[in-house]
Amino acid sequence: MTAAGFIMRNALRNKRRLLLTVLSVSLSLFLFATLQTALRELTEPQTNAEAALRVITRHRISVATVLPQKYLNRIRQVPGVEAVSQFTWLGGVYQDEKNFFPQFAVDPDTIFKIITEAKVDPLQRAAFERERTACIVGIKTMNRFGWKVGDRITLTSEIWNCSPELVIRGVYSGGIDESNLFFHHDYFDELMDGFGKTGAFWIKVRDEAAIQPVINAIDSSFRNSEAETKTETERAFQLGFISMFGNIQMLIGSISTVVVFTMLLVTASTMSMAIRERMREIAVLKVLGFRGSEIFGLILAESFGLALLGGIVGCGGARLLYSNLDIYTLTQGFFLKFEVTPHILASGLLLAGGLGVLSCLAPAWAGIRMSVLDGLKEVD
Amino acid sequence: MPSIPLSYNVRSIRVRWRTTLATVWGVGAVVAVFVMVMSLARGLKATYVQTGDPRNLLVLRSGSTAESSSQITREELARMKYLPGIERDAQGRPMFSPEIIVLIYLDRLNAEGGANVLVRGMGEMGLVVRPSVKLVEGRMFESGRRECVVSRRIANRFANCRIGDSFKAGKGEWTVVGLYEAERSAYESEIWADADEVRAAFGRDFYGSILLRPESEETAARVTKRIESDLALNARVLKETDYYSDQTRSAGPIQFMGGFLAAIMSIGAAFAAMNTMYAAVGARTREIGTLRVLGFKRRSIYLSFLLESVILSGVGGLLGCLASLPLNGVATGTFGWTTFAEIAFEFRITPELLGKGMIFALAMGILGGLLPARMAARKPVLDALKA
Repeated sequence: MTAAGFIMRNALRNKRRLLLTVLSVSLSLFLFATLQTALRELTEPQTNAEAALRVITRHRISVATVLPQKYLNRIRQVPGVEAVSQFTWLGGVYQDEKNFFPQFAVDPDTIFKIITEAKVDPLQRAAFERERTACIVGIKTMNRFGWKVGDRITLTSEIWNCSPELVIRGVYSGGIDESNLFFHHDYFDELMDGFGKTGAFWIKVRDEAAIQPVINAIDSSFRNSEAETKTETERAFQLGFISMFGNIQMLIGSISTVVVFTMLLVTASTMSMAIRERMREIAVLKVLGFRGSEIFGLILAESFGLALLGGIVGCGGARLLYSNLDIYTLTQGFFLKFEVTPHILASGLLLAGGLGVLSCLAPAWAGIRMSVLDGLKEVD
Repeated sequence: MPSIPLSYNVRSIRVRWRTTLATVWGVGAVVAVFVMVMSLARGLKATYVQTGDPRNLLVLRSGSTAESSSQITREELARMKYLPGIERDAQGRPMFSPEIIVLIYLDRLNAEGGANVLVRGMGEMGLVVRPSVKLVEGRMFESGRRECVVSRRIANRFANCRIGDSFKAGKGEWTVVGLYEAERSAYESEIWADADEVRAAFGRDFYGSILLRPESEETAARVTKRIESDLALNARVLKETDYYSDQTRSAGPIQFMGGFLAAIMSIGAAFAAMNTMYAAVGARTREIGTLRVLGFKRRSIYLSFLLESVILSGVGGLLGCLASLPLNGVATGTFGWTTFAEIAFEFRITPELLGKGMIFALAMGILGGLLPARMAARKPVLDALKA
């Protein structure tokens, strides 16, 4: 009998216990993977190469304070700026409060020069630019509500006192956020009786070297004006949003710790149960001439394998489950996506393996230390 | 039918203390996580439920679901202020407060980053229509001097909000002259100043809402009808308490998370309990045989093992509840979707919540004990004795 065969036999001798232990470890790791993914989605803004060249100008007081529209011309003339668009959060709902998704009033001719990763059919884009009440919607939102190009929709804003009636003229896909709706800022102004204000300006900068000069130039040009601005990169802007969630990070972190610690205890107790059952066999192995280190190796391999199996089932299961679920629709837009990244997967498996090793240390030590005579005297 | 004494189970549990400990811990952890997360949702909900005075009416522009999107012009204000049916104070002034809310971004006190904080501009009757509010330090703001009062909770969480401090917002500096408390309601997430000064500083030529106190229930209905049917007004009226209790839905995601975590963790813990109980049954096979010989029925053995599992999980549940208790009353804050601003609240652990946690624990015990207990009860007497 090979060593591997011996370990397998040992692990399988009580199949029910094996199953229960693997399942409880895998449930814990499933939770671990879920929590880590949620944390990542909530606290790490997803960026890509295109986002690195975007900066956002908002009112210095807060994101919810509006800026005068006329700033647009001055920003456009700042050297290094390639394109600018107004960007106002509509905060509207479609039919019912549950049907919430992001909508923005923008400048139709420049917006897709700024959000370059969003791909739109050129004909659809031209149609969108031509028509005052047209909008372009991300593929995720289109699918969520089963919309088709040409559909007419009415949104009711919960922030502004208006209800834009829009016609869908195009669909975009690509980029991180495929759930937005973009419509004409002019139409929004008209509904708001000549509003003359915008929530923010989104700006595409020529290259990386121009980012800081552009930020400085914009903010200093509006200093001491009626509305001072704060300009920052898209990433910094999103991080600012995240910090408003408060200590959610700590909450999820501490729950993960509790989950992991519990898992350790459960595995450790199962391992010690399994080893105590076998004290006599361990003594027999010793009589046969196996060294303590070899016996330890056998136990370690079994425990490690068991925990790792749980890890694979739990983390792998989470990855499989979440990649096949439409998390965006299920959470009503709360999570854009829910990807168990290779990094999370790896840390889950590492954790499982570590637990397997840790949890067998104490019982294995007790088994090895015990004298052969005591072991042989042991009754099951 | 004689039942097996409880002390048998308790002693058995003590003998196998290692596995017992693991099971108790597992159940305890599930209960603690459940109670903690749910107490967060409770606290957030309670904050909204406790806000507002049942006698007050809130006037918004029709179509607005939130104060922040509502607009009331000065003309509309004048039309409403002296409507009959509005309660008057001792000096004969109507209990009527025109209000405006704006958001400012403040840095957090001891952590990186900051958050939006809601600034409420209110009329001179603002405090009178909110009798739950108490100034606990300093004095009320005086109009015309760019002064403000800050809720104690906000002062504890954000920089530059102590008495004597000042912060820049809109056009100019605001000086903090007082701290207030409001019975842990949503008002405790706000900063208050004079409505007209706030309007001027933030360039708003309209008000956002009106808070008023009708003379009685019956006049409330009359005032509501009068305002809503006035074509020149374009306003809608709702009870202040209804407005705030509607916002409890913002606790939804937290509640969902609590339920999700507890469900998955409890299945894991039930498996662990099952493992422990199977091991217990296995190790005591001979004892079971002896018990049967002594005349105990299968049913008694079944119940005895089930009870043992329930005792285990009950102890775990108790420990979990105890472990979560220190969190009661701890202040925290999160992002309120309705106001787009920080909402400060505290973990709130109620007896009812603890009860739910215990039910959870006992359910895990029963779930984990059923199959092993059945196995114990079904063991043939002779085989068991030979084991």
